[in-house]
Amino acid sequence: MDFICNFPFFSILISLFSGTICSVLPGKAAKWVNTFVIVLIGAMSAALLWYLLGTGESFVYMMGHFPAPWGNEIRAGVLEAATALFFCIVMLLSMWGGRKKLMEEVEPSKHNLYYILVNLLLSSLLALIYTNDLFTAYVFVEINTIAACGLIMIRQIGRTLEAAVRYMIMSLVGSGMLLIGICMMYDLTGHLLMSNIQESVTAIIEEGTYVIPLVMAIALMVIGLAIKSALFPFHAWLPDAYGYSTISSAAILSSLVSKGYIFLLIKIIYRVVGFRIFHDTHIINVLFVFGLMAMIFGSLSAIKENDIRRMIAFSSVAQIGYIYVGIGLGTQVGMLASVYHIFAHAAGKALLFIAAIGLTDVSGFSRKFIDLTGAGYRNKIAGIGFTVGSLSMVGVPVFAGFVSKLLFAQAAVNNVGKMLPTLIALGISTILNAIYFMKTVIRIYTPRPDAPYESVAIGKEKLYAVSIVLFIALNIMLGMSSQPVVDAIHAGLEMFG
Amino acid sequence: MHESMILMLPILVPVMTGLLLLCMPAVKNRKVLIGITAAGLIVTAALVFFVLFQEADSFTFFYLTKSLPVYFKIDGIGRIFVTVVTIVWLSGGAFAFEYMKHETDEKRYFGFYLIVYGILVALDFSGNIITFYLFYEMMTLLSMPLVLHTRSREAVMAGLKYMLYSFCGAYMVLYGVYFLFRFSNTLTFTAGGVLNQELIAGREQFLLFVVFLMILGFGVKAGMFPMHGWLPTAHPVAPAPASAVLSGIIVKSGVLGVIRTVYYLFGADFIRGTWVQTTWIWLTLFTVFMGSMLAYREKLLKKRLAYSTVSQVSYILFGLSMLDQTAMTGSLLHVICHAFIKCTLFLCAGAIIYKTGKTRVDELAGIGKEMPALLWCYTIVSLALIGIPPTGGFVSKWYLATGALRTKLPIVSWFGPLVLLVSALLTAGYLLPVTIQGFFPGKAFDYTHLKKKEPNLTMLLPVIVLTVLAVLVGMFPSVVTDYIVNHISGLF
Amino acid sequence: MGANLFVNYGEAVAAVLFGIGFGNLLLQKNLIKKIIGLNIMDSAVYLFLAEKGYIIGRTAPIVTGGVQSVEAYINPIPSGLVLTGIVVSVSVSALMLSLTIRLYRRYHTLDLDQISLMIKKEEET
Repeated sequence: MDFICNFPFFSILISLFSGTICSVLPGKAAKWVNTFVIVLIGAMSAALLWYLLGTGESFVYMMGHFPAPWGNEIRAGVLEAATALFFCIVMLLSMWGGRKKLMEEVEPSKHNLYYILVNLLLSSLLALIYTNDLFTAYVFVEINTIAACGLIMIRQIGRTLEAAVRYMIMSLVGSGMLLIGICMMYDLTGHLLMSNIQESVTAIIEEGTYVIPLVMAIALMVIGLAIKSALFPFHAWLPDAYGYSTISSAAILSSLVSKGYIFLLIKIIYRVVGFRIFHDTHIINVLFVFGLMAMIFGSLSAIKENDIRRMIAFSSVAQIGYIYVGIGLGTQVGMLASVYHIFAHAAGKALLFIAAIGLTDVSGFSRKFIDLTGAGYRNKIAGIGFTVGSLSMVGVPVFAGFVSKLLFAQAAVNNVGKMLPTLIALGISTILNAIYFMKTVIRIYTPRPDAPYESVAIGKEKLYAVSIVLFIALNIMLGMSSQPVVDAIHAGLEMFG
Repeated sequence: MHESMILMLPILVPVMTGLLLLCMPAVKNRKVLIGITAAGLIVTAALVFFVLFQEADSFTFFYLTKSLPVYFKIDGIGRIFVTVVTIVWLSGGAFAFEYMKHETDEKRYFGFYLIVYGILVALDFSGNIITFYLFYEMMTLLSMPLVLHTRSREAVMAGLKYMLYSFCGAYMVLYGVYFLFRFSNTLTFTAGGVLNQELIAGREQFLLFVVFLMILGFGVKAGMFPMHGWLPTAHPVAPAPASAVLSGIIVKSGVLGVIRTVYYLFGADFIRGTWVQTTWIWLTLFTVFMGSMLAYREKLLKKRLAYSTVSQVSYILFGLSMLDQTAMTGSLLHVICHAFIKCTLFLCAGAIIYKTGKTRVDELAGIGKEMPALLWCYTIVSLALIGIPPTGGFVSKWYLATGALRTKLPIVSWFGPLVLLVSALLTAGYLLPVTIQGFFPGKAFDYTHLKKKEPNLTMLLPVIVLTVLAVLVGMFPSVVTDYIVNHISGLF
Repeated sequence: MGANLFVNYGEAVAAVLFGIGFGNLLLQKNLIKKIIGLNIMDSAVYLFLAEKGYIIGRTAPIVTGGVQSVEAYINPIPSGLVLTGIVVSVSVSALMLSLTIRLYRRYHTLDLDQISLMIKKEEET
């Protein structure tokens, strides 16, 4: 086994440890540690991705000295490595973009705490991505929840505290269901490792005994994860949590945390249940229907919203709906579209959040649309960033969103039964997206004669500008040369089996 | 570097120049701005004509996904459209140099004006439907700043309306593309269609629905009923030179889309005699009549012209819906004529606003005494639009009518020309009052306060050039029609 | 069906408890009661696991008195899972409680809906 196969384990451990180290460091040092760790893990994931693309097959890494049915395992394939790399990039850029705001909004004594939480979050995300063990996945799901809750409430105002409590309650409901699902799965199959469970599940289905409890267990796990990733109608906590937390948190929560759960769900579908068996249960239709509803109702709520950040948050609800529709289509192409949309949405939504804060800051810290008039001129880079993000969300060619729409439509066309509802919902949701995003873009580019607010020069906030520029580049890259990404996802899904 | 890279130049040069203008810090000296814009326009125009006569006629820019290249190819239809675009764009630009003095944010206007030019060239050169769609969307987005240039509340709402309608249309098209992707061999425009006969066997009805969706989708841009609502709102609020190119050119991109869809993707034979053709014909006929009627009742000059566009573009669509070579020749000819004519009309309206600030038709009494040259141009192109020989409008309508009669379709083959005739009368009814009032304001009119207000040469010259062109097309139509017939004969 | 329920009474109790906990977590207004609901729910899962790992007549898998035979002990993995689960649920409960204390200090109530109203009022002024 090559040395590089240690990288998944290293990256989880490094981020976990650096989180511990950050607790004794002053804020500034913690910041550097955090940046360094994210870059390092990103580099390791990139190396791993390159290695896996070379070998063309996934590998299993034994944790400790116990072999397969008893021990704990890590598994890495192309999709895992690619997701890890992408998450690192988005996280780093989100941290950069929100750094100044973080300094202002969080008490100085708590800065290092923030970096602890981010490191913990990263490690739990990586663990969710790489683990091959269901119970480990559950533990890291909880760590992820705790870290995310910390990210929300670190800015201590009434709204965030309330949002954190609501988020916790909903999350705990979800993880409770996930836990009981995992326990039932263990009860039925006698295993906790994904590959072993899958064998037993296949056997159960063939024998025809215990099918109902099995479906029940699958349903509990899937619904638990769906609740945690804010699928409509379990999204009530989301607008406040994304809308009022400090901006790095909002960007990370919307683009990474919910995606981590979805990634785990996809893993469960492929690696635990098996794609065919999952397809034959009717859970898939439930996900499909809720996904469709999310697409439409999320967008409708976003249109009604008069607060730019809550609007973006509601748009997340709709976008998560897209992902679930892709899963619900029950085809390989649909799954591919979903995974691609995870990437596209992460890149676009983080950009939107980061850009939105630049706009509100030059509008007297007000988030109401009326005050945002002309904000695009006062903070030029944020204006451009918001425009690009919006275009990507609406699905204009050249940007990431277009490719994922194309993939979704392709998947829908191939699934005769679900084609019409998907395409109609896609159409309605796109038009609604266009309405509220373009309305905002026009608003920020409508000049204001009285000019009550100061403008900000680009040179003044260099890190912010850099992060926005890189985000824009990421979006355009995903939109213009999607083929390598799609190929990698395809290869990764193939490796899932 | 590949030799065919040269195809990209007329696309990239204006886009780059436009971006340069947009990113440039504000300049005090207006001449710099005008100089750059003029240079950009002229160089692009030269490049366009240079490229038209090149050996290499296709170029793959990059791959969106493995099976979806962004691919450019110049063909006969593209050549016709790009020539029209270039002529109108230069005239509109020249006119704007003077006109935009009384608007703000000239830099932004010229910047987007140049970029849209580049996008339109790309649109006309597009070799497959994905490329076409890409630039079609871009055109919508980038032409929006031209619509909401003044950014008054009215303009912003109009811009939004424009965008929403366009997006709706574009997505209808996109859905069509999704299905087409499944049922065709390729998405490259090919004369006679690209449908895979084996795949579509048994699914004809469904695909007919798809083609109808795409026609409706592109019809949004072309102002076809039932999605014409944005046009009379959006065109009049823009600055006059922008309305001129919007009405003259941008709506034509919808027409180009329909041509590409019907003749180059599905093939004329596929929809001949089906419900799609019938519905389409009736929609266009209804639009022709309705547009004229609404224009007749409208009092604001620019809005009247916008309604007229609704009506006239549906003439073109009517010709296309006949699926007949003669009718299509008429359509393409009308694309050219209408572009010149409508651009001139809007420029005249703009010049009147610029000089006198008058916008309503009933305020224009005696205008001919103040600006005789301008009103003469207006009168000539009005006659051309009505279709009085020897102007371009006459020839194109002649072809349209004979084409319709030739098809021998039930009812429409005689009813269509009748509607065109009635609409022509209405056209006379809504355009000529300006001339009559302008030159002969009546006895009661007070002549004393009239002054010479003829616009200066920068504004007048584009108007005159376009007028002359509109007449010339009518006097020597065979040059154009031969070329058209040559290039479309393979489609039937 | 009924007989099975009686034989597996441990699991049945666990399911009932899970339902009670779940309902409390979702429906109670009082934050403390919600946390209690959460703990009931988690405990139900542990009961379920422990019940699954238990084999009648055997002892806990702690090697005492030199008995090495596998036959003497129950399945140790569920016990391990229960221990891990307890750690997780303790930390989550602690976090929830600390959040509750924060909110109570600010708003002097434990009712989440009232807190929402107060926050809205706070923002308006």
